[in-house]
Amino acid sequence: MADVHEVPRPRIATGHLAQRIGQPVCFVGRVEKIHPTGKLLVLSDGEGKHATVELSEPLDEEISGVLEVVGRVTNQATIMCMSYVQFREDKSPFDLELYNEALKIIHEFPEYFPFGTGKNN
Amino acid sequence: MWSGHGTFDSGYGSVGSSGSAGGYTQSPGGFASLAGTQAEKKQRIRSQNIVPCTVSQLLAAEQVDETFRIHDVEISQVTVMGIIRHAEKAPTNILYKVDDMTAAPMDVRQWVDTDEAGGENVVVPPGTYVKVAGHLRSFQNKKSLVAFKIMPLENMNEFTTHILEIVNAHMILRKNLMSASRVPPPFSSGGMGEMGGYGGGGSLPVIGLTAHQSQVLNLIKNCPVPEGMSLQELKLQLHNMSMSTIKQAVEFLSSEGHIYSTVDDDHYKSTDAE
Repeated sequence: MADVHEVPRPRIATGHLAQRIGQPVCFVGRVEKIHPTGKLLVLSDGEGKHATVELSEPLDEEISGVLEVVGRVTNQATIMCMSYVQFREDKSPFDLELYNEALKIIHEFPEYFPFGTGKNN
Repeated sequence: MWSGHGTFDSGYGSVGSSGSAGGYTQSPGGFASLAGTQAEKKQRIRSQNIVPCTVSQLLAAEQVDETFRIHDVEISQVTVMGIIRHAEKAPTNILYKVDDMTAAPMDVRQWVDTDEAGGENVVVPPGTYVKVAGHLRSFQNKKSLVAFKIMPLENMNEFTTHILEIVNAHMILRKNLMSASRVPPPFSSGGMGEMGGYGGGGSLPVIGLTAHQSQVLNLIKNCPVPEGMSLQELKLQLHNMSMSTIKQAVEFLSSEGHIYSTVDDDHYKSTDAE
């Protein structure tokens, strides 16, 4: 399986998961729940909608706050996580609702914010 | 947000300022901005801009001679924001791979000042979100950036701002190109708000002038007659403007040095000869 970090990963919200089954995506959301096994997370997007993230390995650290997850959408419209990053909020809280608005803009104007080049580079 | 003159704040011309919190109008998103002079009409001015871009846009940019273009918009200095995936320190430079999710991570090279101890040469660790300001380069068909500034993001809301600035910048720059008039405009950085009522001109407004002043100036510039354009001629062409408005515009333009009187006080020519 190609390394998902070498291909375009469209930024999406929960509502887009169903249309992107099998595709690499980038999802930003706030940690709501962590399953006791440490292999399942529930994140909420900027509209408060929940998305489930599955990890291949259990978490080895405490995580909270806003996470940016890179992975592939499963048949169940969950995200199989390949990597994640915690957004730093030590200086200022991250405005997830504003990020969601920005997502709407980039989805509306893909010609000004392309994912992928449309050609082999 | 945009000034009444439809010009972009000169703050956009600056580069590499440290992460400003939020503040859409304050971060160096960068469009065409000079310190007011409209004497610079040459195309090369555009390469003075710094344009926020996605990695995918940079990879898709086409190169003609020394120039890169994304959908005909010329780019040279750019800003990108992404996460460091890889960092490799060499004696003279640090090579990063910066990933913004729009494509594969891009090579970003930062030259190291070998005389300077520490300070500038601290390697930013992988997993850090950074803002990179630099020049787009292509070597053997592979694109990369040479960074003059790499700054870790302290406030991730800047990232959201950057996304919005990319859409905004490319939208405006592309629209400017499409609406450029047949007469080569002195400086085609259009104002967004104030486009109404273009009498005879058909050219885009000039930075530092009001819409009226721009219209008058453009008409005077395009007048081929040796003695220049008369006030009566201006009044005929600019039916939406009163004579007193025209006279005020002419007086302002004259005192600023954009035009000069010729045979009498009713005839003017532009100081920027075409």
